Amino acid sequence: MSDAPAIMIETRGLGRHYGGKWALQGLDLAIARGELYGFLGQNGAGKTTTLRLLAGLLQPSAGQLRVAGRSHADDSAAIKQRLGFVPDTPPLYDYLTGRQYVALVASLWRVDRRARDERCDRLFELLALGDAADELCKGYSHGTRKKVHLAAVLVTAPEVLLLDEPTTGLDPLSTRRLKELLKDEVARGTTVMFSTHVLETAEQICHRVGVLARGRLVAEGTVAALRAAHGGQSLEDVFVQLSDTSGASAQDPA
Amino acid sequence: MKLLLADLRALVNLPATAIGRRATFGLLVGLLLLGALSWWFASTVADNPRLLLLLEQRGQGASLRGLLGYGLMACPMVSTWLGLAMAQRQLFETPELWLWRTAPLPGWRGPLQVLLRAAFLSAVWAGALAGPFVVALLRRSPAGPTAYALLPVAIVACTLPLLATLLSAQIAMARFLSGRALRMVFAALAGAASVGFTLWLLLQLFTTRQHRVQELVDAAAPTRALPPTIEAAAQLLERAASGTAGLADLLPVLGWIGGATALFFAAALLHPRAHERHLEADRPLWRGRGRRWPASLPAAIRKKEFAQVLQQPGALIGFVVFAVLVFGLAQQQVLVTGILANFRVPRELRVVVAMLTQWFLAVLFVLYTHMGRLSLWDGAQWSLYMAAPPRPRAILRGKLQAIAVFLLWPLLLVILAGVKLLDADLLAVSRFVGVAIGGTLAALGVIAVVGTWPRLMRPDRDGQILQGGKTFLAAMVMVTLFEVTLAPAAIAWWWLGDHPHSFTSAELAQLWPHIVGLAIGYGALVGLAGLWLGGRNYRRLLQPN
Repeated sequence: MSDAPAIMIETRGLGRHYGGKWALQGLDLAIARGELYGFLGQNGAGKTTTLRLLAGLLQPSAGQLRVAGRSHADDSAAIKQRLGFVPDTPPLYDYLTGRQYVALVASLWRVDRRARDERCDRLFELLALGDAADELCKGYSHGTRKKVHLAAVLVTAPEVLLLDEPTTGLDPLSTRRLKELLKDEVARGTTVMFSTHVLETAEQICHRVGVLARGRLVAEGTVAALRAAHGGQSLEDVFVQLSDTSGASAQDPA
Repeated sequence: MKLLLADLRALVNLPATAIGRRATFGLLVGLLLLGALSWWFASTVADNPRLLLLLEQRGQGASLRGLLGYGLMACPMVSTWLGLAMAQRQLFETPELWLWRTAPLPGWRGPLQVLLRAAFLSAVWAGALAGPFVVALLRRSPAGPTAYALLPVAIVACTLPLLATLLSAQIAMARFLSGRALRMVFAALAGAASVGFTLWLLLQLFTTRQHRVQELVDAAAPTRALPPTIEAAAQLLERAASGTAGLADLLPVLGWIGGATALFFAAALLHPRAHERHLEADRPLWRGRGRRWPASLPAAIRKKEFAQVLQQPGALIGFVVFAVLVFGLAQQQVLVTGILANFRVPRELRVVVAMLTQWFLAVLFVLYTHMGRLSLWDGAQWSLYMAAPPRPRAILRGKLQAIAVFLLWPLLLVILAGVKLLDADLLAVSRFVGVAIGGTLAALGVIAVVGTWPRLMRPDRDGQILQGGKTFLAAMVMVTLFEVTLAPAAIAWWWLGDHPHSFTSAELAQLWPHIVGLAIGYGALVGLAGLWLGGRNYRRLLQPN
């Protein structure tokens, strides 16, 4: 990780439209190595689109992005080697066991067997997946599917970790374990960016948060700075105010 | 290699679950049956004296090539079916795509895995359909072990190039022509391929021995041109059978496989962008904006059922494809040849009975699908019905009303086929409609009873009824019950066949209003009984376990 740049995620004027309708516009981001960045926004605000653009699953309609100092256009395979993406719907193989799935993902990222087994055991224990490890993924609950895919991604030791609403479907205990796991990863130098609707999670663990509304970044900073800028309100009040304001301004051309 | 191993491991894990075991068992039984049929077909015709005489006259080699080619023709049929109906979904919608695309793999690796999956399935299906036939032919020639050893190569050569070409074309189309219209074209092609393959299999089953021998005689003609991949494979097997096969015979086969694979690699490079554009084009066909939903529960449920069909291009296109199937069967006079040839009964009666038989066959094809609308396909909505204020009869009524409308489609199609292919006049059509309405009411009764039978249809805690032994049993019960309810009509026809002079045409014409009235009355009785029983069943079905 020593050759990793200081800024691991960088976007300039990033935009994406679907059939002429802009889902994301003019996004400028700079997320440093070892930073935990929370992405907040209403449904359809553009959070998932941003994460998919960063993961190389979508091509930008406008602007530029760089992950770990590279752009997907130049060297997508090199970025993917250093990046882990946990989508909202985990792409598990129904007829593999959790452990077999982790082994598959590890082999795709060329993780050696010993490291894989060590990390896999540790992560399965941390995420309380012991019982599910040798069962077929087909029978997993949504939360277990998410945890197994997260474990598989973390086994690859990504330098940049993108998570789309990671706490959805998790029980409180698993949510707490996930938060601790993310903090551990960040302490090891991993850059983590995740989208969430749970403001409490963002408030507890994020170094900085960004608020998206109707495809535009309307606020960004530490939670404390955002609250101070809005008269010391709670993050929830700040979020509601920002979302309402941007909605009103979007509807009112004046 | 890693993805290949993962697929193999998943295949090995398949029998570990009850659903997997059922799916594997069902597939294996189906393939075994098809293989046995293929073997039986070959055995019954290959020793036919007319064919043997012809082989002697033309010389074994030239004729054997044509016969082998005839046997291998099952391969492109399977490739077309799987390439359009199954592989297309895999190319753009399989959940594993998200893993393949985020992994540090080249862009072509994901689609290559889809091609490998499709090629494996194609080879298995084509092996079951064509393999026994070809082996039966080789056993009647002085073929050595090389010929048998080359059979898998021949099957791959006959399936893979077409499969790779179809997938390449779909990737390129999704990349450059993506949009809602293309998704509809894809859905139409998938439906047409499924129905076309089913129709082809049915026609194979209904082909008479004489007709098959004639087809083989035509196939054995030295001038008969074969598709290039079949030609190359048949040539290889024929040379191997005569012990003269060399590298020159193997090269064209390998050339086709290599060429198609190279084409696929080129197209696979377009896949990431094609996948992206395919997802962008995923919008409903019909939104129904500004239309109010009815207040009454049966009307709302009915409208929901219609909306589900109208908003799914695949479902909508399924109706069109079903029309092609009905016309195909009518054109081949499946099940009605004997009826139309029974000159002892008046023609007007023959035409109506032939149309009713075609209608019966058409309804048989859709009974299971429509039965599924009562509970089988509800999925997540099931918990909504369970949680709703308890009015099961109203929900069932709404669903049956929608099914009644859907059941008018086979009726309409048979009218069109009757007018076009059987020269049915207005009188014959009106008589057919009268009796078929009675049949439709009876079909609704049968669907209402079997489609809500708690022992066969109980959904699990997630609202899903898994297809397997119970639903297969339900299908069998429904078909049997439908046949039993319509048995009086069949008995009447057989009785008339034995007593052809019991009625003159004029007397029969006078009887028609009574026959129609009786059919509608009988159908209404069965329908009402079904609705009553179905209502009871449905109430039990909606109660928690």
